Amino acid sequence: MKRATQILLLVLSIGLLMGSDGQAVRFQKLGDKIMCTCSCGQMLLKCNHVGCPDSAKMIGQLHDQLGDGRTGGGATETAGIAASIKPNGGNGSAGATKSDEDVLNFFRSEWGVTAVVEPSQHGFELLAWILPFVGLIAGMILLMLVVAKWKRRHAQTVTTEPTLDPHMDALRARARRETEI
Amino acid sequence: MPTLGSFCLLFALALSLYSFVVGIIGVARKDRAGYVLAETARRAGIASFVAVSGAALALVWAALNNDFSLAYIQEHSNRALPIPYKLAALWSGQEGSLLFWAWLLSGYGFVLRLRHKVDQRLVATTSMILAGIQIFFLVLVTFVARPFGVNPPPIAADGNGLNPLLQYAEMVIHPPMLYLGYVGFSVPFAFALAALIMKYPGEKWIHITRRWTMVTWLFLTCGIFLGAHWAYAVLGWGGYWGWDPVENASLLPWLSGTAFLHSVMMQEKRGMMKAWNVWLIFTTFMLSIFGTLLTRSGIVQSVHSFARSSIGSWFAGDFGWTGTPWHSIPYIYPGFLEIIFGVCLWYYLKNRSHLQSENKLESLVSRESSFLFNNLVLLAACFAVLCGTLFPILSEWVRGYKITVGAPFFNKVMIPIGLFLIFLTGVGPLLAWRNTSVGSLRKNFAIPAGMAVLVGILLPFIGVSPKGDMAHFYSWLTFVLSALVTTTIVSEFIRGGRVLQGKLQTNIFGAMYHLTRRNMRRYGGYVVHFGVILVVIGVAGQAFNQEKEQEMSLGDKLTVGHYVLVGQDYSQDDNANYESQSALLDVYKDGKYLTRLDPETRIFKASRQPNHIVANYSTLKEDLYVIYEGNNPDTNHPIIKAFVNPLVAWVWIGVVVIIFGTGLALVPNAQQIRSTVPVTVGVPSVDPKGMSTAGAGK
Repeated sequence: MKRATQILLLVLSIGLLMGSDGQAVRFQKLGDKIMCTCSCGQMLLKCNHVGCPDSAKMIGQLHDQLGDGRTGGGATETAGIAASIKPNGGNGSAGATKSDEDVLNFFRSEWGVTAVVEPSQHGFELLAWILPFVGLIAGMILLMLVVAKWKRRHAQTVTTEPTLDPHMDALRARARRETEI
Repeated sequence: MPTLGSFCLLFALALSLYSFVVGIIGVARKDRAGYVLAETARRAGIASFVAVSGAALALVWAALNNDFSLAYIQEHSNRALPIPYKLAALWSGQEGSLLFWAWLLSGYGFVLRLRHKVDQRLVATTSMILAGIQIFFLVLVTFVARPFGVNPPPIAADGNGLNPLLQYAEMVIHPPMLYLGYVGFSVPFAFALAALIMKYPGEKWIHITRRWTMVTWLFLTCGIFLGAHWAYAVLGWGGYWGWDPVENASLLPWLSGTAFLHSVMMQEKRGMMKAWNVWLIFTTFMLSIFGTLLTRSGIVQSVHSFARSSIGSWFAGDFGWTGTPWHSIPYIYPGFLEIIFGVCLWYYLKNRSHLQSENKLESLVSRESSFLFNNLVLLAACFAVLCGTLFPILSEWVRGYKITVGAPFFNKVMIPIGLFLIFLTGVGPLLAWRNTSVGSLRKNFAIPAGMAVLVGILLPFIGVSPKGDMAHFYSWLTFVLSALVTTTIVSEFIRGGRVLQGKLQTNIFGAMYHLTRRNMRRYGGYVVHFGVILVVIGVAGQAFNQEKEQEMSLGDKLTVGHYVLVGQDYSQDDNANYESQSALLDVYKDGKYLTRLDPETRIFKASRQPNHIVANYSTLKEDLYVIYEGNNPDTNHPIIKAFVNPLVAWVWIGVVVIIFGTGLALVPNAQQIRSTVPVTVGVPSVDPKGMSTAGAGK
């Protein structure tokens, strides 16, 4: 019981630590999931090539969606030249309550599904998130079943074997230890 | 030269066909005539290497002599291209790289056929399988993607030049390394299939291919990291791994090959997992072919768009409808991958009784189960990468559009899997074969677990805290698990060394040296694990990256992290190959002058493509990575971008350690060292709790 409480406390504290994302971190995190649509093939916050027609507008929209009241520059040092341009319109507080997925969905609808570099977490695209872990879990279950089957067979075999001399056991173990290094 | 090259390819194809068909007949016949036929097939295989080498040389000769009558040379070379890059033209395009594939395969086949005395019957069947693979690639380069295709007159005065991104020293060796890795898996694959076809008794094919597989794995590892270093030094985005589909294509066979290298030990040691191992090497080979398909066909969007064509159907097959909607006929034909899979499946179903395990797993807490879990996690990682890479294609089939699956997806999915794998790397060596008692488990885990906890507690004091975002938590956890693994490795060396120390009457380091010499594979493997941990530590530093970009005129300052960059000079240059702009920046750290950096951007004349020459000040603690982004057209001021990337150097150091460790594992063991002190074996001196794990070798 004591151990279970300790584990619970540990999990809770880790959860609390994880939940302490600030808006700045959120801006960075979401900016790294959106791709600049100008065909440069770069992530939004990394795209800073001169004269980019899209990145400034997109960064402005990201600020709007987050409702962080900023007009560019970002909370970190990354936003670059494009971010210093004022976003076009939008209510600074409109997105204050939007979840990350809502913000990404905004970009999907505004700039096309290819603008976000991770699949959405609903509909068909949810499959991309589920498949790897389903594969891992299915593999683990299969492995457990196979091992359990092997163990059962082994137990049956062992019961039919004659009892070994413990003295010989010790010698055998020592021989194994000294020859396997 | 084009005629000679084409003739060489045709001749090589004929020889490979002979080697394949006559090889089958020779292997099928058990009499003297069969032996003679198999011998002629072997010699034809050897001769095919000479013929393909002739074709490869003809293409290189054409590149060196600016023979723009060849469409391939005109497309991938130009007069001003430096000679090393002209050599690289062999693998810089579709047709050339397929020829390169065929040449490497014939080279591997050449070595194998020369060493046929290791087991003549097994090698004869293996040689026949390799000839079959060779035929596929030779058909491609002879009829489909022809490197010796000739331009119609008039012949161009100059070529289009090599892709600027490829004009970098590492790029001359990165593709060959990667290809040596891809192609090299053909050999263990062919041996495994041959052993299955022949129902070959015992594990001889594994003993023969052990070094082949390790060398191949090493080539692939080097190729992957050379590519990562090239991306870091040339692409100028501040990172080295972007989860690009082509990067993923190289990772897939690496993951399954790594699983094979581990699980094969189970077969050698305990006669287990025979069917599993056979399928692992089949899968690894098919993933290598799949990697070539991804790299060469352009079926997924990639920054590696150096070579694209419609040869995909030759690899993966095709299906659909021909003709008009009223007179349409369905068609379906298999590609090379389907044929390979079909052959493997056929022989597996036919001869699977041959692959029965000799032993069964006795406990979940054992070395065997740790290998099983290790395999499971590596394959889950492989599956996850495959899912993410192919999901855009799947979404196009299902939804009609290609969604983008980029780094955020892969990081979210792969980091937890990777951390679990690191945990297993730490735990596995502490478990004994067959079974591990709770007592010995506790005893062996105490120090590594204690060290991991200690590191976890101390890390926040040096600024690595699990607080903040998920990346920081993952980074902290990575360091903790790295401490666990490192302590495990060190304790394995010390524990084994202590056992020998008494016998050899030497110091602990001498004992550890002898220990390693007695079991190079096992202790070399630990060194490889340590190298992997160094790489992982380097990767974990990414969570603390900083970057900044700004316009800088003379005397302007840019501050990033502890560094201040001051613009000293900006210049332009022009030569036959490219125009360039560069900056001279003085770097100060905490107010003290540190060094001078000169980032540069080049515009290549042949292609008009820009390329960054990164200026990097690298230390063990962090890299200051600076790029010249270009000029602001309004102000004409240079735009400088600077990154502070912590711990990156450890990635490259880790790779060197991996290479060293693999080298150790390839060295044969020294003769068993005889004890200089008589050992009295008595029951009372044996500690039953310690017996199960101390020295429990791989």
